[in-house]
Amino acid sequence: MLSPLEESLLSIMMVIIMFGMGASLTFKDFKLSMRHPQAIGVGFSSQYLLMPFIAFALARLLNLTVEQTVGLVLMGCMPGGTTSNIFAYFSRSLLSLSIMMTICSTLAGFILVPLWMEFYTQGIDDAFRIPPDQIARLLFVLLIPTLLGMWLRRKNANIGAVIELMGGVLGAVVIVFLVVTWAPRNWRLLMETSWQVYAAVILLGLVGFLFGYLFSRILKLNPQKARTVSLETGIQNGPLAALIVIMTFSGETQQLILLIPVMYSLFIVLNSTWVTVLYRKWTKQEELARDQAKVEPS
Amino acid sequence: MSNDHLYDSAPWTQFYDTAQNAIKGSAQAQEHRFPSIPAMLVAAANNFGPNTAFTTCMPNGMNGQLTYQQADELSDAFAIYLRETLSLKKGTRVAVQMPNCLALPVAIFGILKAGCVLVNVNPLYTRREMEHQFNDAGAQALVIMDMFADKLEDILHNTPIKHVVITSVSQWFSPVVRSVLNAVLTYWNKAIPKHSLNATLLSHAIQTGKTIQAEQGIDVASYWQDLTREDTALLQYTGGTTGVSKGAELIHGNLLSNLEQVDSVVGSHIETGKECVLTALPIYHIFAFTVNLLAFYNKGAHNVLVPSPRPIQNCQRAFDNYPISWISGVNTLFNALLNEEWFTVYPPKSMKVAMAGGTALHKSVADRWRSVVGSPIAEGYGLTESSPVICFNPIGHERANSIGIPAPSTEVRIVDEQGVTVPLGEPGEIIARGPQIMKGYWNNSEETAKALKDGWLYTGDIGTMSEDGHFHIVDRKKDMILVSGFNVYPNEVEDSIARLPQVQESAVIGVPDEQTGEAVHAYVVLREQGLTAQDIIQHCKTELASYKAPKKVVFWDELPKTPVGKVLRKEVRATVLSNQAAAKQQ
Repeated sequence: MLSPLEESLLSIMMVIIMFGMGASLTFKDFKLSMRHPQAIGVGFSSQYLLMPFIAFALARLLNLTVEQTVGLVLMGCMPGGTTSNIFAYFSRSLLSLSIMMTICSTLAGFILVPLWMEFYTQGIDDAFRIPPDQIARLLFVLLIPTLLGMWLRRKNANIGAVIELMGGVLGAVVIVFLVVTWAPRNWRLLMETSWQVYAAVILLGLVGFLFGYLFSRILKLNPQKARTVSLETGIQNGPLAALIVIMTFSGETQQLILLIPVMYSLFIVLNSTWVTVLYRKWTKQEELARDQAKVEPS
Repeated sequence: MSNDHLYDSAPWTQFYDTAQNAIKGSAQAQEHRFPSIPAMLVAAANNFGPNTAFTTCMPNGMNGQLTYQQADELSDAFAIYLRETLSLKKGTRVAVQMPNCLALPVAIFGILKAGCVLVNVNPLYTRREMEHQFNDAGAQALVIMDMFADKLEDILHNTPIKHVVITSVSQWFSPVVRSVLNAVLTYWNKAIPKHSLNATLLSHAIQTGKTIQAEQGIDVASYWQDLTREDTALLQYTGGTTGVSKGAELIHGNLLSNLEQVDSVVGSHIETGKECVLTALPIYHIFAFTVNLLAFYNKGAHNVLVPSPRPIQNCQRAFDNYPISWISGVNTLFNALLNEEWFTVYPPKSMKVAMAGGTALHKSVADRWRSVVGSPIAEGYGLTESSPVICFNPIGHERANSIGIPAPSTEVRIVDEQGVTVPLGEPGEIIARGPQIMKGYWNNSEETAKALKDGWLYTGDIGTMSEDGHFHIVDRKKDMILVSGFNVYPNEVEDSIARLPQVQESAVIGVPDEQTGEAVHAYVVLREQGLTAQDIIQHCKTELASYKAPKKVVFWDELPKTPVGKVLRKEVRATVLSNQAAAKQQ
């Protein structure tokens, strides 16, 4: 994992990135995302109904060990993180909706994470809970810079646009940084890990993207919203899961469980990147198509 | 038998208000007694000096602004550069090729103030089209956007252009924003090609002009003071839809008259010095040139320039950040806006009037605009050759599917093949006469003789007049299809096809046919699958006389269009005919 210095550096960068993301938003964007509360509802259910179940099913199918099962189900129960917002931005999905969903799922995770863990991993351990200060921390990293960015953009469109661009560039840098620093440091771990664990952490993200998308489409969300929900569903808050594991377990058990969030975090960045490229292309195609289309008979 | 009296009685004048009646009686209002366009520009700058004149708004909200005073000073300096440094003379043609940006009005105003003739060039032109236009106009200097420098480099040696001035879309943005924007355009969008043109930067040209002005105390007014309404102001190229492109020669008086006519229509809805107009249409197009650039400058409006309105999302920040009260557009632009959630949920509250032109405004689009935005959308009609406005719908009294009534001091008739006026309600070619009609085509007396007869402009549009003097467009004359001696108007067939919900758009053309002379063919773009050619033919047969229904329907992925979104039937036809010829040879 990362050293404490790198971690705090990363947090600061996250704050700057969200500042930039905020600068790309207006209050109207949030009002628009709230105009279809069902989108948030759909995202919420795909995150807290689909994902824990997918994780549990994958663990069973792949015959994971008890520790790995706990790790994977915990991963499945996690709320979304700021990473999902960055990818939502890059894929030209609805950033405002993504942020709303991250906020809602994080708040709800306070209650739902322990509940689901209890349900899916009965008797394994009873002490899973999200530390409250973590929620406060996430809200701080997410909300304050976002609001500040929005306010600044309103004050001066030029400054807003420059900050947005800087946030975007920094976002890309952080993603590359995560991948580049992680792999060489943990190559031994990568060598030792069984194929089942690889399959589990890769599939959790991918199946999450796919089901999140299909589920939203079945419930009649438009493609752009479905893509937003899809990213939000597949991308879980990996660092938060790692933190919970560290605070809840100790010794060898801790290391065995920790493997899952750590592996997940690496592969979700890789998978999200190419899914984002794909989604971005779709968004652009739709924009052009709408440009051409005729007015729906009203 | 002539029906001149029908048209000469001008039944439409009953709908004129005071402003329009005043012009009809040729009592020119004080604010329109300008001898030339520069005189108007200078008067506006004097009236509205510190107000913001232009803002360029990029898709991400980045922007740069010029006040009336700045636009005036910069264009003065540019005029001095043209006259003193480049030694251009009165009447020399100077071309401008760029999308909407701050440099565009400065270059245009500077050229006109130098007494030169402006040549507007479509930035999307290919090398071949650019070469033709520069040669035809005999342009000696060119102001071009860096984005197109590579095209110019390849053809420059084949043109009479001696001086190239280059600029960028971020011209006069604040330095930090400018460098960020240039970096993005160069490295991310790869929109700015490398070139080795021997060109002067616009900012440098203007600095040179300022220095000369300070040293020699030049009064720029001396360049334009002796210009009259009879002097040529603009060569506006047209004919993308009728064959080889030719330059409509518009004199200062044409444009100033049209300005006054436009003003008589919109003036009573304008608060001088307080309006904010969105210019998403390209200014190299005559509609935006006369209406957005000139008419609203004269009214002290704040002009928000969008360099590229496609995709339409590019306009979102402009609506977010500025209190847009006027917008000009074509059917496709309004349609695109109405397909965006951010627009329909939060329509601009400040919007007063939308002005539509270029192509027919569809009734469905107009209706939806009124219900979503809650303000009028008025369709006008005109041609490049008429500066452009010939007809307009009085604001607040728009009629669906009508181009409205003739502008004040404009005569309009409908004539048959022999040029004889037709009876009421019968279709024929629309012809128009008035102070806004061009002098002729530049160096092209043959085409001029075809288009202008006794001062009447033959528009090539087939239309009808209703009893109370409202006009309706039926179709373009050259697109008319002759099936066994019956006239078929493609618009009518396309409208019928468009009523099928699965259809996005279509182009209907006439193709030579052994039995019927010409046969109706439809080229259709579907928005969703599940429609066969037979379905479309059947549908048309239920709505139209059977000879009008297409004999053949072909599905295409897209149709060729002009930059403003008009479907190019001519190109569809050319493609189809060349395919047929190729098939026959095999």
